[in-house]
Amino acid sequence: MKTYSISKLARACGLSRSTLLYYDRLGLLKPSGRTGSGYRYYGEGERRRLRRIGRFRLAGLTLKEIRGVLSSGGKPGTRLLEERLRETADKIVGLKNQQRLLAGMLRQVASGKRPPMVDVKLWVKMLQAAGMDEDGMHRWHSEFERRAPEGHQEFLLSLGLSRQQVEEVRRLSREAWSIGRAEAASRRNRARSRVSWHDSKAPISQPKQLAGP
Amino acid sequence: MKNHVNVEEWVAMFEAIGLDEARMHQWHKLFETRHPDAHQGFLEWLGLGWEEIDRIRAKFR
Repeated sequence: MKTYSISKLARACGLSRSTLLYYDRLGLLKPSGRTGSGYRYYGEGERRRLRRIGRFRLAGLTLKEIRGVLSSGGKPGTRLLEERLRETADKIVGLKNQQRLLAGMLRQVASGKRPPMVDVKLWVKMLQAAGMDEDGMHRWHSEFERRAPEGHQEFLLSLGLSRQQVEEVRRLSREAWSIGRAEAASRRNRARSRVSWHDSKAPISQPKQLAGP
Repeated sequence: MKNHVNVEEWVAMFEAIGLDEARMHQWHKLFETRHPDAHQGFLEWLGLGWEEIDRIRAKFR
């Protein structure tokens, strides 16, 4: 039967000798015996067991959990796996969040500007998906401009609009789109006051122009 | 930069233009399922705390 010294087995599995000593202390992986001079040796069975331990470790199970699994038939319970899967999903959400924040900070540092929290195309798309039509958006801009002009400005800037675009939207909010005048003005101004990022057919990369006749 | 609009004002504006609660729920749900990061970004922009954001996002997941 092929046997391995502790160092040889550790090397074969990409682990350190002290890890195997630790596994031995935990009762997770015992050597199959000792040589006459007291050195641990391991057989093929131990090697397979160590591979399995490694796989469970990669899947995020703790050593204690692995010991439990191996001592009760070797098959991890559904509940344990589901729990770990859920934790992994949570970690992914956390990491994605970190990634987004870091990328945002990096952009901010690089450009000296505040990064857009949501890009304007996406914002409009989500409003449309929730059932808001063009007139609804115009009414909303008017309300926003009337109630909280500074907030309106800041929100538009945060969507990544340029100062000039922001000014144009605010002007339309005060004039062409404002409540009461909307009906009369809308027919006249409809073409003029249509902003391109409200048009789902407009190119995504260029929400620059306020389309005019 | 200080954001001048809080959640209550935001909701009030949507209500003023006739967007009812069901629509707003739908909107959150779409946002959360299709663009979770942007949803988070928007809620942060509104000035909500982490716990509140987590609560809202979990509700619409």
